[in-house]
Amino acid sequence: MEGAEPRTFASVLRAQQSMVFSIAYHFLRDRPAAEEVAQDVFLQLHKRFDEFESDAHLSFWLRKVASNRCIDYVRKRKSQAAVALDDAPAPSVDGQPQDHFLNRRLQSLIASLPEKPRMVMILRYQEDMMPEEIASAMDMPVRTVKSHLQRSLAMLREKIDRSMGDVR
Amino acid sequence: MMDDFEKQLQAALGRKEPSPFFEARVLGAAKREARDRRASIRMWWASAVAAILIVAAGSAWQHQRSEQAREDAAGRDAKARLEVALRITSVKLQKISQKVEGI
Repeated sequence: MEGAEPRTFASVLRAQQSMVFSIAYHFLRDRPAAEEVAQDVFLQLHKRFDEFESDAHLSFWLRKVASNRCIDYVRKRKSQAAVALDDAPAPSVDGQPQDHFLNRRLQSLIASLPEKPRMVMILRYQEDMMPEEIASAMDMPVRTVKSHLQRSLAMLREKIDRSMGDVR
Repeated sequence: MMDDFEKQLQAALGRKEPSPFFEARVLGAAKREARDRRASIRMWWASAVAAILIVAAGSAWQHQRSEQAREDAAGRDAKARLEVALRITSVKLQKISQKVEGI
């Protein structure tokens, strides 16, 4: 039976690499940097692998550590200044299908959010985490998470409406 | 309940796969880190054992030195007492000798 198989570091790495890498990739928008952060997260996991009793605990820990590592990484890399939301470049629409254009535009706008709201959005919409879970993973009050979500959503809606209007 | 915009956000934030070599690279790095960690633990133990041996040898040497010093002091003391005893005996013998000569 699949559930009876012993959990090994290699099996966890195989199962969770996409989740950890995607959090880092959507946050950093830089593939090598995202792989570097994801590798750090898994190396930290390797050191304390025996401490985890359940898969749920392990997944929660991976999301929490990945979020913190991404924010730390950006803070350390001062040279990479965050792009202001108003200055976020709109990608070219020539020959792009509408959904692809919208996805690219949304990714670009999410990447331009400040660090904490950006991570809140990624955990909510990539990982489908509830505000309470995000609050616990990011060590912040639930009402702060909800406020980040509401404000980010409102800003993104406004920006996307405006850019769609420009395209039309 | 998510609206269409939130569903679009979910689609935009879909999971991505790392490069095909990512898994092998992490496993290799984890193996190297574990090996380095074991080596540093061994080094720590070796240093601790070496430190204990140095302290033990030092205190044994110190103990031996103080024993030797005590024995030397006892020897000097015995020699001094013997000299005093010989001097007293010599004086007594001299007196006896003078008395004998006076008879």
